Amino acid sequence: MDSINYNLSGTVFDIQRFSLHDGPGIRTIVFLKGCALSCQWCSNPESQKTKPVVMYKQADCLHCGRCMTACKLGAISPNNKHWIDRSICTGCGECVNACPAGALVLKGKTMTVQQVIQELKKDATTYRRSGGGVTLSGGEPLMQSAFAAELLKACKGQGWNTAIETTGLGTAEAIETVIPYVDTVLLDIKHIDPEQHRKYTGSTNEVILKNAVRISQISNTVVRVPVIPGFNFSVEAIQKIAEYAKTLMGVRTIHLLPYHTFGENKYDLLGKEYLLKDVKPLHPEDLAACKQAVESYGFQCVIGG
Amino acid sequence: MLAKGFSEPTERVKRLKKAIVDATPYVESERAVLVTESYKETEGLSPIMRRAKAAEKIFNNLPITIHEDELVVGSITKNLRSTEICPEFSYDWVEKEFDTMGTRLADPFQIPKETAAELHEAFKYWEGKTTSALAESYMSQETKDCIANGVFTVGNYFYGGVGHVCVDYGKVLRIGFTGIIKQVIEAMTKLDTSDPEYIKKKNFYEALVITYSAAINFAHRYAAKARELAAVCPDPVRKAELVQIAANCDRVPEHGATNFYEACQAFWFVQIMLQIEANGHSISPGRFDQYMYPFLKADTNISREFAQELVDCIWVKLNDVNKTRDEISAQAFAGYAVFQNLIVGGQTEDGLDATNDVSYMCMEAVAHVRLPAPSFSIRVHQNTPDEFLYRACEVTRLGLGVPAMYNDEVIIPALCNRGVSLADARSYCIIGCVEPQCPHKTEGWHDAAFFNIAKVLEITLNNGKVGDKQLGPVTGDMTSFTCLEDIFAAYKKQMEYFVYHLAEADNCVDFAHAERAPLPFLSALVDDCIGRGKSVQEGGAIYNFTGPQAFGVADSGDSLCAIKKHVFESKEVTMAQLKEAMAHNFGYSCTASAPAAQTADCSDESKIYEAIKRILSNNGSINLAELQNELSTPSTTTCAAQPACSNADYAQIKRIMENTPWFGNDEDEVDMIARRCGQIYSYEVEKYKNPRGGQFQAGCYPVSANVLFGKDVAALPDGRLAKAPLADGVSPRQGMDTKGPTAAAMSVAKLDHANYSNGTLYNQKFLPSALAGDEGLMRFASVVRSYFDHKGMHVQFNVIDKATLIAAQQNPEQYKDLVVRVAGYSAQFTVLAKEVQDDIISRTEQSF
Repeated sequence: MDSINYNLSGTVFDIQRFSLHDGPGIRTIVFLKGCALSCQWCSNPESQKTKPVVMYKQADCLHCGRCMTACKLGAISPNNKHWIDRSICTGCGECVNACPAGALVLKGKTMTVQQVIQELKKDATTYRRSGGGVTLSGGEPLMQSAFAAELLKACKGQGWNTAIETTGLGTAEAIETVIPYVDTVLLDIKHIDPEQHRKYTGSTNEVILKNAVRISQISNTVVRVPVIPGFNFSVEAIQKIAEYAKTLMGVRTIHLLPYHTFGENKYDLLGKEYLLKDVKPLHPEDLAACKQAVESYGFQCVIGG
Repeated sequence: MLAKGFSEPTERVKRLKKAIVDATPYVESERAVLVTESYKETEGLSPIMRRAKAAEKIFNNLPITIHEDELVVGSITKNLRSTEICPEFSYDWVEKEFDTMGTRLADPFQIPKETAAELHEAFKYWEGKTTSALAESYMSQETKDCIANGVFTVGNYFYGGVGHVCVDYGKVLRIGFTGIIKQVIEAMTKLDTSDPEYIKKKNFYEALVITYSAAINFAHRYAAKARELAAVCPDPVRKAELVQIAANCDRVPEHGATNFYEACQAFWFVQIMLQIEANGHSISPGRFDQYMYPFLKADTNISREFAQELVDCIWVKLNDVNKTRDEISAQAFAGYAVFQNLIVGGQTEDGLDATNDVSYMCMEAVAHVRLPAPSFSIRVHQNTPDEFLYRACEVTRLGLGVPAMYNDEVIIPALCNRGVSLADARSYCIIGCVEPQCPHKTEGWHDAAFFNIAKVLEITLNNGKVGDKQLGPVTGDMTSFTCLEDIFAAYKKQMEYFVYHLAEADNCVDFAHAERAPLPFLSALVDDCIGRGKSVQEGGAIYNFTGPQAFGVADSGDSLCAIKKHVFESKEVTMAQLKEAMAHNFGYSCTASAPAAQTADCSDESKIYEAIKRILSNNGSINLAELQNELSTPSTTTCAAQPACSNADYAQIKRIMENTPWFGNDEDEVDMIARRCGQIYSYEVEKYKNPRGGQFQAGCYPVSANVLFGKDVAALPDGRLAKAPLADGVSPRQGMDTKGPTAAAMSVAKLDHANYSNGTLYNQKFLPSALAGDEGLMRFASVVRSYFDHKGMHVQFNVIDKATLIAAQQNPEQYKDLVVRVAGYSAQFTVLAKEVQDDIISRTEQSF
């Protein structure tokens, strides 16, 4: 085993226990900050920026004014549309520390590998009992490749199963650094058409498709498709993804993830606009035809992961 | 496929169940009249002999009732789901409720005019002669003050029989009542006539012979009745059944059982005879699979289907047993609960896995009958077959709130620590709600009291006062505390005082039972009463305990952690400010204003009523935690609706105090404080001894008393408002465990469960989607295994239904623990947009 740098730090915005749809068994997900894409349906919009962001829960606010005094940049004022002026805020977190009521929440915390492992250990028994482990998600874990790699190594050092949820968008170096320590890669392939991909995610898909080939060579890979009405919710679009997955090494399973709106309320907390407001969520039964299409290529198809 | 599904019950079982569900509970008078007549006739005799004579009269004269379709017979009452009255324990509350018991909201019973008249006549005899009158005469004024101020209550055994026992059903199945009489006579002949206790022992043995001879006759009266019905029965199939029933009742329980059917009948007779002799609840069948299996195994003639139908019939019959309580207790135990706990699985006394065919048949019976009784439990240990646990998880998914799961790896050492031998500890069963005991060797007095440790914290912070009354010792004004250790020191002193009075109260009641209600039928079935020549009540059992249970552990932990963090560490609030804010209930109306309190009560009652109505319309499946959810809503709707005065400062202090780590999120900072609060109670309790020669041992479970007794507690430092419900058992405060079920379970597991050898109770909620499919079963089993690896003692699961989710939409504060998981994302249900919630609600209950 390589030596592990437990003091290396990264930016984590959540650690979620009892996760059931992100690899085998019961898992803890470590959500890492930063993503090169900005998918319109993103359910973790607080993850996209590399730096920490402040969420403001108006319902919990006491209007005591302590945050305004605490903010040295003057980013907080009742005159701002969403309380915080995001163009000024650097995510330093002074206001969050000053808030007595927990109405301000900092998303993005610098943690060392050691600190994350400490938290992950709390469910070690559950991993063992359920055949679960740890999953890195985000954001895009490949954006913090050095930290992700050390963290995964440290997990392996505990004997835990590892997984990663990735957009596939990262440098070749990042992939070579991170993927060797992953037991299961949950790899998003959202669309085969580069232009459609760019329109809805902010980036074309050439690098992703190229990386997919390499990732599948290194690690056990499951292809995941978030199925979004108006974007890729058609048998044809899904078929094309399945066709592509056929060319990847060892891929046997495709997950179809029905579009949901659970993240919509976070856009408000971040003072952001949600572009898919009028799109209705999908349910497993809506994906029956897509599932059949995937299975016709010889894949196992799981709806919901 | 892991999930095996459940078969349909037979048509007979469906009809039997329907009769139970449709029945209107009545109060009946026969037993009260008979016991009173007997007591009038036996005034010169010893207490045990008077009890024997009373039992004899009752067994010889109680009406014999065989209902249609029954295969296993024997009823305490003429009407289904009805109750007899035991005035020898207490009666005045029945008298007071003659006119209202039929219409009260919690657990109503009809009392026909003529029944009321007969009871009224019988009750006249009992003034000053009951166990409760004697117990009360023993109690000091200080102890009565503690009870009056809601620190604890010993009401359970003060008003009724003790119950809470598992007897030697196996012995009856093997040697019958004649075998028992033979044992008694052998013991009597061996008596040393020069022993100073010779006369008393001889008298005891004679009482047993009288009681058991009458008990045999009771069964024979059933045989005669069955023959009588058979003679006039036009349906040849039913006629044959009745003839068989008559043959069974001729044979058992007089003699040992020769086949599985007889074993079922003999079991049932014991179960009701115990509850005819006295009215204590939690008469628990215990390890049914262990004592029944040998009879199934040896019975080469019986079909699997018929054996299952017999077990199903017993399941239905367990729901025929009913008891009435006074109105307040009826609220605390709402749902006609009688807590007949039946447990399967576990280990043999030499440590091997004990799971057998009957264990699985019992699970099938739960699915077939789907009624509240029995309180169904399973034992889990390191060598429990996965198949068994998966099957239990499948039963849980039915949403009935059962089985409760118990951890052998904690309970066995916990019992050994109390002096129970290893073999006996391995044989443990569960009594009532969650209380472990070695069956048929223990008088555990398990439900000895509810003790409110959150109330003790309130009193500590008020320098020993409740309102203006100096109830406990003077331990310092809260403004004089400068660190957590100061508070702990005061808390410990208060705890010493109140636990002392708790022990006094319990022992007063204990003496009263020994003196006025030694029970001969029960005593012959608990070792080693026959050997020792004395009743269970006088210390005849091998193991004797008194188990008062605490609640309010999480509340105390959360409160002290909030003080530590915001007063002592960050100094955002001073003690003086906090004191004032709490005195004003954080600016919310409720504390002192009587009208507001009344509204809360009314609203509580209507909630209880609604809950029960729904339980009954759902064919009687009780889900205690769910019931509590319903009961707990009014406190926020009525108390927390609007701050009374515009004093926003108090509200701000409340919000600051609430912004603290809560017990239930696997954070040592608060979990260790909660652990210590509980330990202060349990270490204090175990210092005391009872008159039967046994030790006090703490439990930590509230039934649903955390709601009722929450009404006695003023505002707490964690921001909880006056009168709001307290946390349930060892569970986190409702809705405060927001990091998912594994984090909550790990917090709970930190409470040092082995120390609460009288039992702990942990309720956990799951959305059906988390348990769906075979993967869900496996996950579920691994949650149980992990919690038990971390030395949790008990857990039971409630599968969230639509109604709960709708309640969560309306009262989001209390349901922050409902977590929705999807790939790469999770959310607390309560923060989702209304439409998203609606969507989840519309899809809940279709996930399996």
